[in-house]
Amino acid sequence: MKKRHMVWSILAVFWFVVSICFPAWAADEIKIGVIGPMQFTQGEGHWNGATLAAEEINKKGGVQMGNASLPIKLIKVDSNEFLSVPDATNAIELAISRHNVHFLVGGFRTEAVLVMQDIAMDNKKIFIGCGAAHPKLCERVKEDYDTYKYWFRVTPINSRFLVKVDFILLGMVAKIMAKQLNIPKIKVAIVAEKAVWADPIVGIAQKNLPKMGMEVVGVWRPSPVATDVTAELSAIQQSGANIIFTTFSSSVGITFAKQWGELKVPAAAVGINVEAQKDGFWAATGGKGNYTLTINTYARVKITDATIAFFDTYRKRFKEAPNYTAGTYEAVHILADAIEKADSLDPDKIVPMMEKTDRMGTAGRLVFDETHDVTWGPRYVTAVGTQWQNGKNMCVWPLNWEGITYEGTVPYVIPPWVVDAYKK
Amino acid sequence: MIQNIVINGLINGSIYALLAIGFSLIFGVARIVNIAHTAFYMLAAYFIYVGFQYLGMSPYVAMPLAVLAVGVLAIICYKLFIDPIREHEAAVLIATIALAMVIQEALLIGFGGHYLGVPPLIQGYAEIVGVKVTYQHLLALTVALMALFGSWLFLMKTKLGLALRATAQDREVANLMGMNEARVAMLTMGISAMIAAIAGAIVVPLFVLDPHMWMHPLIMMLAIVVLGGLGSMKGSFVGAYIMAFAEVLVVFMVPMGSFLKGSVALSIMIVVLLIRPEGLFGIAFEEER
Amino acid sequence: MGLFGFYLRKLYTLFKGEVLVLPSRIAVFLFVLGVLSLPLFTQDPYLLRILIFTAIFALLAASWDLLSGFTGQMNFGHALFFGVAAYCTALLNLRLDFPPWLSIPLGALGAVVAGLIIGIPCLRLRGTYLALTTLAFPIILMGVVFAIPDITGGELGISGIDRLSRSRVTDYYVTTVLMLGLGFLMWKITDSKTGIIFHAIREDEVAVRASGVNTTRYKLYAFCLSGFFAGIAGGLYAHIMRTAGPSTLEVALSFQIVIWAVFGGIVSIYGPVAGVFILYPLLEFLRIMPKIRMLVFAFIVLMTLLYMPEGLIPWIRDRIEKECPRCKVRNVATRRECRICTAALD
Repeated sequence: MKKRHMVWSILAVFWFVVSICFPAWAADEIKIGVIGPMQFTQGEGHWNGATLAAEEINKKGGVQMGNASLPIKLIKVDSNEFLSVPDATNAIELAISRHNVHFLVGGFRTEAVLVMQDIAMDNKKIFIGCGAAHPKLCERVKEDYDTYKYWFRVTPINSRFLVKVDFILLGMVAKIMAKQLNIPKIKVAIVAEKAVWADPIVGIAQKNLPKMGMEVVGVWRPSPVATDVTAELSAIQQSGANIIFTTFSSSVGITFAKQWGELKVPAAAVGINVEAQKDGFWAATGGKGNYTLTINTYARVKITDATIAFFDTYRKRFKEAPNYTAGTYEAVHILADAIEKADSLDPDKIVPMMEKTDRMGTAGRLVFDETHDVTWGPRYVTAVGTQWQNGKNMCVWPLNWEGITYEGTVPYVIPPWVVDAYKK
Repeated sequence: MIQNIVINGLINGSIYALLAIGFSLIFGVARIVNIAHTAFYMLAAYFIYVGFQYLGMSPYVAMPLAVLAVGVLAIICYKLFIDPIREHEAAVLIATIALAMVIQEALLIGFGGHYLGVPPLIQGYAEIVGVKVTYQHLLALTVALMALFGSWLFLMKTKLGLALRATAQDREVANLMGMNEARVAMLTMGISAMIAAIAGAIVVPLFVLDPHMWMHPLIMMLAIVVLGGLGSMKGSFVGAYIMAFAEVLVVFMVPMGSFLKGSVALSIMIVVLLIRPEGLFGIAFEEER
Repeated sequence: MGLFGFYLRKLYTLFKGEVLVLPSRIAVFLFVLGVLSLPLFTQDPYLLRILIFTAIFALLAASWDLLSGFTGQMNFGHALFFGVAAYCTALLNLRLDFPPWLSIPLGALGAVVAGLIIGIPCLRLRGTYLALTTLAFPIILMGVVFAIPDITGGELGISGIDRLSRSRVTDYYVTTVLMLGLGFLMWKITDSKTGIIFHAIREDEVAVRASGVNTTRYKLYAFCLSGFFAGIAGGLYAHIMRTAGPSTLEVALSFQIVIWAVFGGIVSIYGPVAGVFILYPLLEFLRIMPKIRMLVFAFIVLMTLLYMPEGLIPWIRDRIEKECPRCKVRNVATRRECRICTAALD
């Protein structure tokens, strides 16, 4: 009797020692921390996208590693980054040191992501960004590869390319308006929320628009959280603009669209309006945001074979269209693939596999460039342009752009009141 | 351009004035710096949203109900959290901040950080001297002016208004004259919250609702009451229009800097205070002289 | 050896006579001991990180108490000092490559200048006017930060700053020792002649002026001192976070400081420190219920104030200690007579 006790206790001690010495062996699940402002739409997107991906993978039996298959376990990390940046850093530290997450996905507010990135890198945790568009996050990878190689970005596209798409959309609308309404020289009012990410867009617009044969009639920079822009709108109407080139990421996008539609300002609104990417936009503007055109990541068109199925599942499950923070769906899938290829949970082995990613994702073909940023371009991830048309957010671009048209794309519609204003 | 400035300034100024008057009232009567004042304004907006969106009420029913509900709620909050610690000035301050946080967080839990909206009561817009103004804005202006006039009538012509003003002027003497100071303070809390709620009801169809919408008006409101002179109704009124016009002027004169409108308005407040430390119409209070 | 023994004995007598006589001092002593010895038991990076922030914010809250509690100059924009120092420190470190031990004090001097700049116009204001006016300054500065993104980085802030030190434990010791040292210094200041004048200004400024004290100078002095200590906190924060962004200037932070300080109990320096050491870890602890975290936090603050409107620490202090009616020296609540003048305690 006593002997058996002895054997058991030796075995137990042995197991204990082994499990302490080789934690990777003992891992029976892959923990992915989903970090985002969980009380807000952005964080919900992070969580929902990751949930879908994790469920899919687990249904298939999990991630194959060696001859074991590990299920994915998601850990919700509320960064509260909108309200407090130290809170965000505490949250990520908690996830790494207490919950022992292996990987991290998410992040939104650039000021907070820059700090969280540092913490993740210090701990050599792979951190896949799905929300912050600033180029600096990825430039760091190039500047100091050994430290920052664990950072990747899946969504949205880098703000440099965002600008490119922005101008393509503007050019498209300008062409349509000039043709249909016989306007010899299109006048553009630039309205951008006052934020650093919007500054280069304003600068480039002022420089480029005259080259594109358009005239800039003025630049307005309301606060990102302005609750009333009627003053700006009156001024825009006075300036005689035909197109309003918008750059919004915050609530001002709703305010602007609502008051623009209510006042029937005779100029088409084109550009970036993050709020207009959400299904809730229609209700929030009381339908007044009709005909707003914005850059988007997802649209219910055939970007790749996976898009429509993903879009429908997502909307059915969460009663909301996926916006770019739901890119965590892609992030988790990419991660799972890379783990299988590397056959290890060691980040240093996974990073090279991540770099080789070439995946027909839901938002386009996903390939990382040398800064670990998502590659933009025809036949890669292109982003899409969506316009609200009577309660539905329709894809209007790419339409015969570089030979690309996603199945289901419809032509752009000029707001009827703008047509009326010029037909007189 | 001038028409634009005048019309937009008037609308914004009236909403600010409504907020500032309520705040001024409770400060004057009970010496409470009520940080939660604009939280009540936000609460009214959300009540209307709920009534309209979930309970299918007509906005004309939802609005008065919301105003009333906020008034009652404010009195309950006052009785529970503020009245017991009235003598401790710092504690009252924190209590109102914490109260505002509670309201904000409760709304955040209930509605999430989504941006919500209520459709306008009347559609369309009018053109006044070449400026497009939505009917909703005009309605807001009318209601705001009426509410301002109503508040003035209430304060000047009713017995309760007289009691409020008397208490505001000198608490101790009012008490000696047989006025129940505690009851007056409680009623003032309810009334001031209701005036804030009216402002909330006015902006609901114009603005975007989110659980942080109380911050900007709070700062502007505080600046206005300081500019106008604490506890002075006239000051709040004039101050509100000064600040609103300052904001609108910035938007029109320096479109590139329209994000600076808040900063500029606050700078004006500081400049005025440098010249007149007690604000435009401030009365030096007995105990603070 | 004999000399050493003598000093040891003297130290012990001092310790017994000055620290062991009062429960509050024993508590402070245990607190200091606990804070300093913690890394010997655990080096959990998460715990240390929380405590580093706690120490920084404790310093900040104490500096608020020096200005607003003691001198009575209600400052609702204390984040201004914090933010100015964070930005100055960050710029000095990034542009001029100043090491942390130089950039933090210089950044704090930046906050002192800010204290002077806002102190001068605020001299004529009193009470609520002052409180509400100071609220405006960080907001105005925030506008400036957004207006010159080339220098300040706009809403991204300045990032890429050096670490405070190589390891988390060193970071911890730097921040906590600074917090304890500067906290003690502040407490000493409030106990000095200057401190008494600060106190008197709060109670009755006219009377102080009538006694021939230049109150204007002392008020400015309070603004600068408080700005300096808050500035050190801001500089530390910049180096720990390795970024200085507009979030250091937010109204929410200014409010948070006031909540910490008043919760702990103002006019004491140690009250706000204790307030932060209770509330900041509490907020972290409340992560166990992420959805209602802030709601519970606000509710706890509200409830505590309802029962302890003077703040938590003064409430506890009044339970365990009594003040001698004659010589105003504090005694343990169990004593019948004063330990100094033997007057009967009620």
